[in-house]
Amino acid sequence: MTEISYLAIGPIVALTLGVVALLLVEVTWKPRTVWLGVIAGASLLGGFVLAVVQWIKASDEPDIWFRGMLALDPFAAFGAVVLTVLGAVAILVAWPLILEQGRRAAEFMALVLLALTGMVLMAAAANFIMLFLALEVASISLYVLAGFNRGSAASNEASIKYFLLGSFASAVFLYGVALSYAATGSLTLHGTAKFLADNVLLDSAALLAGIGLLIVGLAFKVSAAPFHMWAPDVYQGAASGVSGFMTAGAKVAGFAALARITVTSYGPYLSDWAPAVGVIAALSVVVGTLLAIAQSDIKRMLAYSSVAHAGFILTGLVAGVDGVPYVWFYVVTYAFQVLGAFAVVSVVSGPAASKSSLTDYAGLAQRAPVLAGSLALLMFSMGGIPLTAGFLAKLYVFREAVDAGYLWLVVVGAVASVAGLFFYLRVIVLMYMNPQSEEAAATSPDIRVSDPVRVALTGVAVVTLAFGIVPAPLLDVVTNALPF
Amino acid sequence: MEVTAGWYLALGALLFVIGASGMLLRRNALVMFMSIELMLNAVNLTFVAIGRHVGDLNGQVAVFFVMVVAAAEVVVGLAIMIAVFRRRASASVDDLAMLKG
Repeated sequence: MTEISYLAIGPIVALTLGVVALLLVEVTWKPRTVWLGVIAGASLLGGFVLAVVQWIKASDEPDIWFRGMLALDPFAAFGAVVLTVLGAVAILVAWPLILEQGRRAAEFMALVLLALTGMVLMAAAANFIMLFLALEVASISLYVLAGFNRGSAASNEASIKYFLLGSFASAVFLYGVALSYAATGSLTLHGTAKFLADNVLLDSAALLAGIGLLIVGLAFKVSAAPFHMWAPDVYQGAASGVSGFMTAGAKVAGFAALARITVTSYGPYLSDWAPAVGVIAALSVVVGTLLAIAQSDIKRMLAYSSVAHAGFILTGLVAGVDGVPYVWFYVVTYAFQVLGAFAVVSVVSGPAASKSSLTDYAGLAQRAPVLAGSLALLMFSMGGIPLTAGFLAKLYVFREAVDAGYLWLVVVGAVASVAGLFFYLRVIVLMYMNPQSEEAAATSPDIRVSDPVRVALTGVAVVTLAFGIVPAPLLDVVTNALPF
Repeated sequence: MEVTAGWYLALGALLFVIGASGMLLRRNALVMFMSIELMLNAVNLTFVAIGRHVGDLNGQVAVFFVMVVAAAEVVVGLAIMIAVFRRRASASVDDLAMLKG
């Protein structure tokens, strides 16, 4: 248990410096927005490079630093790599929105980087209090981002709903920490694991209640049913340009934290928590799919579909440590897909818009073939059509769940993913086979895709197809990205 | 009668449940937020009691971090509530029903 490692906090320092630089440069020089973008990009690049260095070093000698606070292991390094790339794509996607903010652009990007700092910490935290702090840094930044569009009533409403339910979830999570502490006398993840390995608890009620509350708290954050009520309102109410980042970032960081605490600390109690995770997974898949079918707004549809996807990802987690690589595979590929899908929404209905009716997408293939093509690919992938990353991701988590003896869960998941095809394909049918109505055609402006969004969409499409056809490179990486 | 750690844990649990019920039952955003603060303080009491019971300082130190986070939450939460107040001069969450489906 050694003390200080600058490498362990490298990506976090790079992101935090970016936040400070953005705010100071903004108040001192008031530069053009593009220079602020350069600062944010440099900070993300720095974080990415340091995360890659972490990955290379961590494979040799993983360690815990800062008296048991931060882990420097392949799991944390991979999380940091994914999150910095995700942040860069999110800034590209949000670029039209950032330009609209005028002098508030620096604040906006600072909040995105701050949220990323918290998310990177969530993947690296080796102490429950550290994890709580990381969770709050990420969550509080996201509450503000949800309400960033102060003039919009929908944005206000999204923000206050997210804030109240998110804080409630944080308190529940924290009580879980306290109960786990009461049962084991340790606040570090490894101390907890060591205590549970060395001792047989006479009365495990407090521990099990603690694990349960921890799982519920994080299930709120990743919007798994029945703790998903906030997700559709928040993702619809927030500006389209930033909804994708909120969904993707919260999922990656939330599942990283969930995987680390369940596997590292409570691995021996797998048979106790896995059934609970299985039930949440089944509920999420069913509720998310059924409610997504009923939606007429594409942002709400994507939100409910993200609830279903949270269920599929949890399906991989019931296998314990064996399932972690496939949880990573799913959550990483899904994060980029959902970011891309919201990017298309932000172009079609405007970056600051809240509402985005499905009827706006009628005949999109004629009006904007590139957008329609990307959205169609992403819908195929989320629906789980072969040759896309989404198909393989589902296949892997289902295989792990079957191996772990959760056949019922896989049956539920398979039926739901077939039912889910209905609403994914409906978008494609609308775009390619239904013409735009006459009156809508007369009023709707031309759709113009700005260059940053085009770059982001191309990247997302390439990733989705490439890992759908040749998954081996990503699989090699994720099978090594285990917490220790 | 000696007051053991168990009493404090029970009080903490009771306060947490009161806070959670307030959060779920009350309809005023400010009162809901106060309920969340009550939940966090119930957890603080639990941390202190356990830290004292097992003779571990980490439990006491955790409380400081929780208080700092709670303060940060107050700042953001009140700012969000003021933004909503300006628009509709009501703190009831029942009025916030534009987004649904």
